[in-house]
Amino acid sequence: MNNRKKKWSEVVFSYLWSAPSLILILLIVIFPILYTGYISLTNMNVYHWNNYEIIGLENYKDALLVFDNGFLTALLLTVLWTIINMILQLIIAFLVASLLNLKGLRLRNIYRTLLIFPWAMPGYVSILLWKTGMFNSQFGLLNQWLEKFGIQPVRWLGGNVSAFLSCTVVNLWLALPFMITIIDGALQSVDKSYYESALLDGASWLKRTFYITIPLIKPIIAPSVVITTFTTFKQFDVIYLLTQQVGAKTGADIHTILTYAYEKAFITNNYGYSSAISIIIFVILIAFSVITNIKPKEERQ
Amino acid sequence: MKKMLAVLLCVGMTVGLLSGCGKSGKQEKKDDVTTITIWHDKEDAVAEALQEELEKLEPEVHVVLEKKSDLTEALKVVGNDPKAAPDMYFFAHDKIGVYAEMGILAPITDIIPKEELNDYMDMTLEAATYKGDIYQLPIYYETLLFMYNRLYMTDEEVPKTTEELYAYMKENTQGGHYGFVEQHSTPYYAAGWIYGFGGYLINADGEPGLDCDETIQALKYHKKFVDLMPGETEYATVNTLFNEGKAHATIAGPWLIPTVKASGMDVGVAAMPIIDETGNPISPYTGVQGIQVLKYAAENKSEAVEKVLRQLMEPDIGVKLAQASGCAPANEKCYEMEEVTSDDVVMAMKETAENAVPMPNIPEMDVMWTVTGNLLTDVNMSGKDINESVKKAQKEAEQLIENMK
Amino acid sequence: MRRASKKKRREKIGLLTANVGLIVLCFIVLVPILYAVSVSLNAENSLLSSDFSFIPKKFTLDNYRAVFMDEPVLHWLKNSLILAIITVFISLGTGIPAAYVFSRKNFPGRKIILQLLILLYAFPSLLSMTALYRLLTPMGLLNTRAGLVIVYTGTMAVFALWNMKGYFDTIPVEIEEAARIDGASNIQLVTRIVLPLAKPTIAVTAMMVLIYVWNEYIFAINFMTGSDTYTLAAGLYSLQATEMSGSWPIFAAASMVVSIPILLIFFALQKNMQTGLTSGGVKG
Repeated sequence: MNNRKKKWSEVVFSYLWSAPSLILILLIVIFPILYTGYISLTNMNVYHWNNYEIIGLENYKDALLVFDNGFLTALLLTVLWTIINMILQLIIAFLVASLLNLKGLRLRNIYRTLLIFPWAMPGYVSILLWKTGMFNSQFGLLNQWLEKFGIQPVRWLGGNVSAFLSCTVVNLWLALPFMITIIDGALQSVDKSYYESALLDGASWLKRTFYITIPLIKPIIAPSVVITTFTTFKQFDVIYLLTQQVGAKTGADIHTILTYAYEKAFITNNYGYSSAISIIIFVILIAFSVITNIKPKEERQ
Repeated sequence: MKKMLAVLLCVGMTVGLLSGCGKSGKQEKKDDVTTITIWHDKEDAVAEALQEELEKLEPEVHVVLEKKSDLTEALKVVGNDPKAAPDMYFFAHDKIGVYAEMGILAPITDIIPKEELNDYMDMTLEAATYKGDIYQLPIYYETLLFMYNRLYMTDEEVPKTTEELYAYMKENTQGGHYGFVEQHSTPYYAAGWIYGFGGYLINADGEPGLDCDETIQALKYHKKFVDLMPGETEYATVNTLFNEGKAHATIAGPWLIPTVKASGMDVGVAAMPIIDETGNPISPYTGVQGIQVLKYAAENKSEAVEKVLRQLMEPDIGVKLAQASGCAPANEKCYEMEEVTSDDVVMAMKETAENAVPMPNIPEMDVMWTVTGNLLTDVNMSGKDINESVKKAQKEAEQLIENMK
Repeated sequence: MRRASKKKRREKIGLLTANVGLIVLCFIVLVPILYAVSVSLNAENSLLSSDFSFIPKKFTLDNYRAVFMDEPVLHWLKNSLILAIITVFISLGTGIPAAYVFSRKNFPGRKIILQLLILLYAFPSLLSMTALYRLLTPMGLLNTRAGLVIVYTGTMAVFALWNMKGYFDTIPVEIEEAARIDGASNIQLVTRIVLPLAKPTIAVTAMMVLIYVWNEYIFAINFMTGSDTYTLAAGLYSLQATEMSGSWPIFAAASMVVSIPILLIFFALQKNMQTGLTSGGVKG
């Protein structure tokens, strides 16, 4: 009896304490999703801006037309983009973080601060810098360097493959500071005594990494990795601003599902229709994460 | 420890704080019928000229000019909320169709009788008209101009026709120099060639014309010029090439002139070359900049709105803007003044404007920018087949327009 | 003996390679930024130039002077600071208790909520704008700092919750239990025991929220009107050199001015952050 009462009060207490945070999330994260779902059932567009009404699943019927070959290609590319970016990010961040944690490295705090720099700038500024300063085929720094070696200038953002790689470089540049900091922190929390016995056994660096370090830091970095994976999947700015911006298209035909949806739906000013597409993309994303089972597991219990 | 407690206390403070901040908006100001808020996204010189002119209305009407980035998107979001929306906005005419359909704009003829607008150039009034109503009070307009660097191209060498231009390009495009550059794959710039051939992006009925014969012809003809231009096509590259003297001539907006003059270039402005095939000059889009009135303001603050409009109908403002920023006034009366007629850039725009086409102001145009941009990129940069590309683009445009409803 | 000195030499070579590697890496990372610095110190108005060098040809500090004198940068800085500080405090004030109960208590709905939150994060936010606008207007929060604070706090709340909960999980429960037996209340438990132990994660969460608010411009531009309400990032966006207007060197100088405070804060917080971005001691 007493026990049950105590349990009940625990539940109330828990919800009471988490309420402010959960209410904020409800308002800012969940409400827009529900609202988008609602709008997707209406005919809200330029011609029915104030007097829109519920029209059922009409928008979804139209939206399915968007999911043609172009969409499938974009979806595949998005998956490829996510995988390549995440793998590179994790490997590079892990290597850099390991270097930063070497015993006896004196300048580590300076390195850390310098490596974090890309993080301290608004994203559009960085992308603009890369686009005009680095990749520009006439004046970009990369081509100026190539020229010094007598190599023909390259249109970095022109071809599909080179544009994809260029976008990857920029995305890595933007995302690595976060990942390095995460893994850096995780590495420091690893109890050094694990290594001592392994060293005595004569285990190589690779072996230590795979059998000790990675299993130990995995649960710590998992939430951040999952969140980054979603961010990479949803990435719009890098690819759009570098290659697809209206008036500054480079000729590369690379689209992620979001840039594709943007050109096929958002520019129509038809909110009902673009909401339907957003919801469908959302469902696809969730399906993906369920299939691939990327969700942070809880290490406690 | 106490610090941490303070953090927790903040939760409690949140509520009070938020409600406190909530009141500090500018709602009180909004209700005042003698205060008019105008959004714009213009450069400082233009904004200052407007501000100065509208200050003459003090103290009867107080005008607040607010610079708003991403003005068009913001208006879509707040347009029908009188609390957040401005009373008027200053922008190009090409969005009036969208906002008129949304029901957030009032025709200016609700306030100013149509007969009083006779002094305005026909082209600017045509631009301001959507479905028979005039939604904009035109102030000035912009067209693209043919500009050349006198260091390389003498006044006699300026090509009169496109074939002469082509010959000049062939001769001078080498070793990092270009005879002529333009943003060839940007719809706003390529439109001049398409309309010069009699083609069009979209007609007044909202039907795209990307696959009509004239457009195809224009794209084919234009392609040979594109082949002599750099692959990179956005404004930064094109303008820098011209500014640094790597390109001898360009087609660009009047806004480029102050920059190149500042870098010491002796820049010439000429009429658009005539396209040999059709006998028409390159006919670029014009954008008419002017003031639009939101419905709520027209209904509730009509007196103040009228005063602002009438103040801006005075020829002074046109003259002032022409002097401040090289804007071509929309009011014909301004061209009687020496200050305006002595400015060659303004006069060159007036000449170009005779053949220029006002940008379509129908809502359907919103999707055409993207579709046409893709088409131009496919044809000019990816080297895809023109006939197939236009068909694809036309189909896509029709599909997107279908999806707008 | 010999083995020890050999080991030492190997360590030394390792350190040297690591230093070289890190210097090269830092340089690669900094190239675009050095580029911006150089443009901002150059007297010519061009982002592009066909013969670029990192050392400006016509050195000038005029662009920085212009940023501070001609643009209301200090005003924007004040706006950014106010917003950032309020947002950080509210994020921590709401996030810490939530993270604590999600870490310590086992209540119905806990697991589901945790998983759900991270899934909902997958929603493409391109369309949130309209919805948030519809939310803020009836509450009279449009065009107010409070509105922006709510949006920012809500956006970062999922991260704050997950990140801090992960760290709390690694703090042994036994310490709290001992205190509980001594009669400590829940609030005392958190303020006296958990928070001091969790300092690193709090520093890091605060840092993340700060960076987000500092660099965010889309909401700031859309929900606020008038250049006197801009934050630094929004002001920078409006300075952005477009085809019609703007000066590249001033824009580049302003970008530097925006970034430097963040770097300083980062440097100052670094000691606290070392074990913070992720959970602390993992002891099996």
